[in-house]
Amino acid sequence: MYDYIVVGAGIIGSFIARELSKYNLKALVVEKENDVANVQTLANSAILHSGHNPKPNTLKSKLCLLGNKLYDEVESELSIPILRTGAYVLAHNNEEEKKLDDLVVTTKQNEVTEFEFLSFDEAVKYEPNLAKTVTKVLSLPTTSVTYPWEVAFACMENAILNGVEFRKNSEVTNITKTDDIFKITINNTDIAEAKHLINAAGVKADDIAEMIERNVEYKITPRIGEYFVLDKRVKGFINHVLYPLPTNLGKGVLLTPQVHGNILIGPNSKFVDDKDRANNTTDGLRYVKDNAVLLADNLPFNEIIRSFAGVRSTSNQEDFIIRESNEVSGFYHVAGIDSPGLTAAPAIANYLLNKIMMVHEKYDTKCNFNPKREKLQEFHTLPNDQQNELIKQDSSYANIICKCERITEKEVIDAINGPLGSSSIKGIKKRTRAGAGLCQGGYCEEKVYKLIARETKSSPLDIVYDSQKSNLFVSESKVKK
Amino acid sequence: MTKSFICIVCPRGCRVNVDDNMNITGNQCKRGESYVLTELTAPKRIITTTARTVFKQLPRVSVKTDVPIPKELIYDIMNIINGVVVDKPMAIGEVLISNILDTGSNVILTKSCLK
Amino acid sequence: MKKEIIVIGGGASGLAAAISAKKEGRDVLLIEKEDRLGGILNQCIHNGFGLQVFKEEYTGPEYADRYINEFYKNNIEYLLDATVTDVIKIKDGFEITFSSRKTGIKKVNTNAVIMSTGCYERTRGSIIIPGDRPYGVITAGSAQRYLNIDGYMVGKNVFILGSGDIGLIMARRMHLEGANVLGVAELMPYSNGLTRNIVQCLNDFDIPLFLSHTVTQVNANKNQRLESIIIQQVDEKYNPIEGTEKNFKVDTLLLSIGLIPDITLLDNLNVEKDYKTKSVKINQSYQTNVSGLFICGNSLQVHDLVDNVSLESERAGVCASQYVLSQTTKANKNVRVVAGKNLLFVTPHYVDFSSESSKIVFQFRSKMKIEKSMLKISQDNKLVKNKRINFVVPAEMESITLNIENFDSSNDIVLDLEVL
Repeated sequence: MYDYIVVGAGIIGSFIARELSKYNLKALVVEKENDVANVQTLANSAILHSGHNPKPNTLKSKLCLLGNKLYDEVESELSIPILRTGAYVLAHNNEEEKKLDDLVVTTKQNEVTEFEFLSFDEAVKYEPNLAKTVTKVLSLPTTSVTYPWEVAFACMENAILNGVEFRKNSEVTNITKTDDIFKITINNTDIAEAKHLINAAGVKADDIAEMIERNVEYKITPRIGEYFVLDKRVKGFINHVLYPLPTNLGKGVLLTPQVHGNILIGPNSKFVDDKDRANNTTDGLRYVKDNAVLLADNLPFNEIIRSFAGVRSTSNQEDFIIRESNEVSGFYHVAGIDSPGLTAAPAIANYLLNKIMMVHEKYDTKCNFNPKREKLQEFHTLPNDQQNELIKQDSSYANIICKCERITEKEVIDAINGPLGSSSIKGIKKRTRAGAGLCQGGYCEEKVYKLIARETKSSPLDIVYDSQKSNLFVSESKVKK
Repeated sequence: MTKSFICIVCPRGCRVNVDDNMNITGNQCKRGESYVLTELTAPKRIITTTARTVFKQLPRVSVKTDVPIPKELIYDIMNIINGVVVDKPMAIGEVLISNILDTGSNVILTKSCLK
Repeated sequence: MKKEIIVIGGGASGLAAAISAKKEGRDVLLIEKEDRLGGILNQCIHNGFGLQVFKEEYTGPEYADRYINEFYKNNIEYLLDATVTDVIKIKDGFEITFSSRKTGIKKVNTNAVIMSTGCYERTRGSIIIPGDRPYGVITAGSAQRYLNIDGYMVGKNVFILGSGDIGLIMARRMHLEGANVLGVAELMPYSNGLTRNIVQCLNDFDIPLFLSHTVTQVNANKNQRLESIIIQQVDEKYNPIEGTEKNFKVDTLLLSIGLIPDITLLDNLNVEKDYKTKSVKINQSYQTNVSGLFICGNSLQVHDLVDNVSLESERAGVCASQYVLSQTTKANKNVRVVAGKNLLFVTPHYVDFSSESSKIVFQFRSKMKIEKSMLKISQDNKLVKNKRINFVVPAEMESITLNIENFDSSNDIVLDLEVL
């Protein structure tokens, strides 16, 4: 019997898991995917917004502001990368400049204290490739960029270290509640029991709720955002997050420098029917390109290494839905977490535990809670003498597996065998960036699958790309008919 | 009935037609004619493929037929090669299967197998 | 430790360059990242190699074997499983950093560098295919490696996008290994592969080739595996034509949509780029604007015949050797070479009149298929040389060799391909 079961191991579920692990209680996180952070957390702009944009006096505005600040602590405790870029919101003419003034009213109401206006001439000093058509800029220095799935890994790893259980490939298929006990069915077979149930199922949150509530008060209406990724060679082409003026549809097509030097271009915003289908479309990607050129001149589209689409769990409510169920006590919704969900995530977890679930009133804090998660800095970024020291201890640090991103055999082995290890190609890519570079795995996929097979003592035929059934190979060759 | 071929003797790639009376048209040089005649009467191909080995460090080794074999035997020969396992170190050029299907062609290694 | 020449990459190009430089008497070190020499030839088990160099038809591994034996015979120093991570310009040469399990991270200085790092495959990311992002969309070269070296099939029902030679070769390979190869789609109205590959890899096995077609949608099943694709015919501007959709149930889409020279190691050097070849600019000695930096093979320009890679790299090896011997940093006297009418690109990009190399091998690709053409090489609007070339196609690189004495050192050299 668990005190808490969390459904979903995206960024939200992972932060909640870590918060729960601070208390003397028994908690389980179940995730339908073959990895942490595999849906919404995997495909977004990776921005820690300043909080300038959400409608004032909403959970979105409050938790965004708070979350942005909390990331400093997350950074030092969990060793996650944060790129402190700052952001520019761009106006191109008088009309847009007026809207920029309106945006500042919101910014002030949201208690974002750091901002300033810049003329084109001032801004272009820091952003040499800023579009010449820009007339005025709102600078938001507290905007930063992180590496979302790394944050989720860090939280979940730390939660596991502090006693939380995690089960991947575990889809919740039924929920009942009798005598104050929730019984959740996993993959139609296993049963897990808990006193409280937290619904952090992202795009599937309403489906989970429907298993136990008669009238679910919200509906998730999935929204797709499409992106291009530019190779890390473009590092320095832009230095800030570049926003157009926000519209009803959201923050618009952005240019976002990424932690590893890449630049993200996107997203568009398109409501779709199928939650499981994050599709790229010709029109969508064209829209992204057409709008991106309004932000910077001479965008190096020839450096595109990938396009992708991400799904956002927008709900039919305006705000985040973070509350106890009106129908079922002990059942908590953390739903409709779209932008600025990544930024707000640590604050959402705090808010849920301390203001909604009142966990501190029910459970003691754990005296031996270890807030630290050590992560070795990426090997290729270390100074030479440190690299050689590590190679002396383990020569597999000298064997480069991914030439494009300079990832070593040791780092791949650690990603396979670590506390939150993965034995899928995509899992290794998420953990190490092997395959995330220019050749997109052309050189290293072969090496990675062989290392996974060796480390997990399995046949190459059993190695998967992502989900448990996404095998790389269908058969051996030379099968006699 | 007219049969159509693309001549591969040179990069030009003439489309050569042959009718029932063996009238050959479309070729721009003599070599095209003889190419098409061979293709019509006895087309031959070299098979290049791999063979299974017992060695972990080289699970497959590349092989080929050392002279062209009749085109219609491609599948039969593939099937025979698929059933063969290299179980000892062999050098490049060594014969794995001699005179396969009495074609006069040997299946030889195109890569050294641990030798 | 200082070397005279370091060759980066031990495939067809690196082997030939190292051998020729060594034969010229240079102290050569070759660094290869994989565990064997021969590079991509190891997985190209089909035949068609060597007709020019050896006057004999070889498979890829056989062709490599000839060069590897020659390489061993010349006692050339080499490292396997060693990845070069940095090439830095220093006084009188370069500092090369490499990493391998055996050596750890090591730095070695050299007078000259020959880049023979080959090319990598364009992936789905570099073109826009709408739809899901399933597994089962894989480059033809990766599938080739998995099948020919590791012995695994990536799929049962296969479609191929792009009619590049690797795609055509893989159509036959997968078919002969028992897969259903349902077709090849090519965006252009002509094939990008050699004619003989169209005939022997597709026509022999009744695999259809859809010219002026492209894949416009990929769909995944529940397990993120490719389930089906839609192809459509395109108009002259390569836009899909409505109503021409064809649906194929396939679990694998092989991409054979082009190769890109791998010059990432040069990112931090100030090397002049050629956006047409997606590589860097060179003079007739295969030297870049960075003195002592040479480049050849597919990292200079993607070739269609390995024989040309070997011959080109052999010349580069000799030129690098001459450079090391002369060591004088003479001021270059460069004249530009311009790709004129109907030409996609020409290498070299410069002719350096201060260089020892008097032979200039112009290599070029046409923009389109031309039945009868006249290559005209001129300077200052004066014809220097012309040559009739019949049947030029973009898929086949052409070349012409001239002596530097044919040219003056003050005007651009222009190559035009006139349609006759």
